[in-house]
Amino acid sequence: MIESRHDSVIVRRLSRGLIPLVQIFALYILFFGQYNPGGGFVGGVMLGTSLILGILVFGPTDPLTVVTKRIAETDGVGLMIFAAVGGLCLIGGGQFLNYAELEIPGLAAPSRRSLGIILTQIGVAVDIAVTAVSIVFSLSVMSGNGDSHG
Amino acid sequence: MVELVQGWLLRPNFIAFVTLFLLGLYITVTHHNLLKKLIGLYLVQTSVIFFLVTTSAKDGATVPILMPGKTAIQPDAYVNPLPHVLTLTAIVVQVATLGVSLALVAGIYRKYGSLDEDEVLKKLE
Amino acid sequence: MSDHLPILVFLIPFLAAICMPLVGLNNPGRCRPLALTALGGMFLLSVATLWRILSQGAIRYAFSGWAPPTGIEWVADEIAGIMVLVLSALAFLSLLHTRQDASAELAGRTVPYHAIVLTLVSGLTGMVYSGDLFNIFVFLEIAALSGYALVGVSGGRALVSAFRYLIMGSLGASFYLLGVSYFYAATGTLNMADLAQRVPDLLASKAVIGGLSFMFIGLGIKMALMPLHGWLPDAYTDAPDAVSPLLAALVTKVALLAWIRILYWVLAAGSYGMIIEIFGLLWVVGAFASVGGAVLALTQQDLKRRFAYGGLAHIGLILVGVGQGTQAGVTSGLFYLINDAVMQCLLFIMAGAIGSRYGVRTLDDLGRTRLPTPWIITGFVVAALSMIGLPPTGGFFGKWYIVLSAIENENYVAVVAVVLTTVLTMAYFIQVLEPMLRDGETGPRSPEIETPLQLRLSAGVLSVAIIGLGLWSDRIVQVLLHATSRLGL
Repeated sequence: MIESRHDSVIVRRLSRGLIPLVQIFALYILFFGQYNPGGGFVGGVMLGTSLILGILVFGPTDPLTVVTKRIAETDGVGLMIFAAVGGLCLIGGGQFLNYAELEIPGLAAPSRRSLGIILTQIGVAVDIAVTAVSIVFSLSVMSGNGDSHG
Repeated sequence: MVELVQGWLLRPNFIAFVTLFLLGLYITVTHHNLLKKLIGLYLVQTSVIFFLVTTSAKDGATVPILMPGKTAIQPDAYVNPLPHVLTLTAIVVQVATLGVSLALVAGIYRKYGSLDEDEVLKKLE
Repeated sequence: MSDHLPILVFLIPFLAAICMPLVGLNNPGRCRPLALTALGGMFLLSVATLWRILSQGAIRYAFSGWAPPTGIEWVADEIAGIMVLVLSALAFLSLLHTRQDASAELAGRTVPYHAIVLTLVSGLTGMVYSGDLFNIFVFLEIAALSGYALVGVSGGRALVSAFRYLIMGSLGASFYLLGVSYFYAATGTLNMADLAQRVPDLLASKAVIGGLSFMFIGLGIKMALMPLHGWLPDAYTDAPDAVSPLLAALVTKVALLAWIRILYWVLAAGSYGMIIEIFGLLWVVGAFASVGGAVLALTQQDLKRRFAYGGLAHIGLILVGVGQGTQAGVTSGLFYLINDAVMQCLLFIMAGAIGSRYGVRTLDDLGRTRLPTPWIITGFVVAALSMIGLPPTGGFFGKWYIVLSAIENENYVAVVAVVLTTVLTMAYFIQVLEPMLRDGETGPRSPEIETPLQLRLSAGVLSVAIIGLGLWSDRIVQVLLHATSRLGL
């Protein structure tokens, strides 16, 4: 599936312009998920989709693909952000994920809850993007891949 | 009997849910291709999630997103947001199931060279 | 601080699972020590949690500070405390007993394997603690997806078994979610304590009965209740030997515990003099499953398959106890559940040990080779005694209490079923033990492979635990009776 980069120069040029646009839109949906439809799940899927487009179009030797493969191997970072936010709430004295107990000076309880939610959504988005990319890598036939990741 | 059917027609979400559920179950059980079984499974899960989200509907209410600028919030103007949250979680579970199942199917294809259930079972003997 | 113990017990394996890909990035050899440390830490914290529950009462943990029924809560009562203790100990021992270099079986997938084992354990922990119906669904699916991946880890045949397990398990989870949405549509809440106050008035409504039936089918598929058991024999037989003890001991039992919670704690079934008809269904299906599983076990040649069908029989036995509808019944069912988890773990560890070390996988292989391994044979004998139900092992006391509760309920058909299952279990175990213990056989003697320390440790601890469960059975049953006394039975 990912043998080499795409033949057509039009596709490559357009993708070079489209991928950053998709990523900016993904970040918009992620951060405005507080007030509009959206949030971490959809933002993460779009982020992952932009990376998958890059892998499919530019082939296995492109720097984008190599960096994405390294990122896909560090699988748990998004969940670590989520658990870290929850753990900080525990350290602050409240229950797990009780964002009102985050130790941030100068913010009242509702602002702390809002900040806690946006941080966890960032963690979720990173996790879903990495998961989508790693699924594509596992199912594809690429040189140096195959059964190594299972 | 007539009241029964009239009761069904008053609740179109039940009819849609039952149709999708039975269709998905039929596809899962009868088709031989492994990927088609997965599509049937996906239909079953989607129908259940659809039913869950329709329990939140209210007459003349809108999506559960607070409109800015209003001072008092009337609960009657918004649909019940809890089933929407449950639906989001169930969709994520469905996608994860799809991921694991596709990985298993890819492994079966690599090992046995076929996606047909009868051929794979024959090669297992 | 000790108020936060339930979430800490859950977080330790979960955080270890999350950090596993980073830790194992350059050096996969670091994964196993991390996993063992995490499970050991989880065991110690679960002991502390049980101590706290027994001395100060149940812990109710509300997430994010929102009080139930608006928020999600976890309820750590005595049953949950004991179950999590058993879970962490069994997971630790199952992970311990495998060889360091079982990489041939794992096909080089060490990092994902350890991460998925830890997510399985955390998912099961969440399911045991959960005080909310939808939370049970989420953790059920986390544990189930980890189970599907673990069954298929060794590739080949196991992939097809894992695929079958996945299809049936996902259908079961969909049925369970359907039942939950019916309950939500009828009452407007998902919290188990809140439902317990609203559902008993609505027991005649079709929504509640429909939801209950769907939940029963869904959880029945997950706990492999006959006739919904089709996925289990293949999945347990083809799973790698390192994984079978973990799956066999835990996954079906925790699903059964979730069903017991829904039946007694949510429905408050049987309490206040309201015995609803579902109990008749339960003990009949349980009796059928126990006798059917034992009969089918007699016909199997492959050892792991035989023990898998034996496990099916035990799920039936637990349901016979639970289906009596009395406090004695549910207590005896819960006690036998705990015993069964420990017994199945030991049995599958032993079956995996003789399979992978000596190549003995079927009854014919057992008849052909002599095994000079006192530890493994002792482990087999203790597990067999407990499965058959002979004193002083825990299995005897579990079956004894189930029979007592059935007699108390004047349910003599159930007593006959339990006795019949015991006789059949004895038959299929004698078929296994007889070639092992035979003396003066002229077959080839297997080379003396030194039983490694990890296997001795796992087998020894589990055997002592089985006998300990028998000797201290009345103390444990007292704790369980105290836990079920608030049900109004």
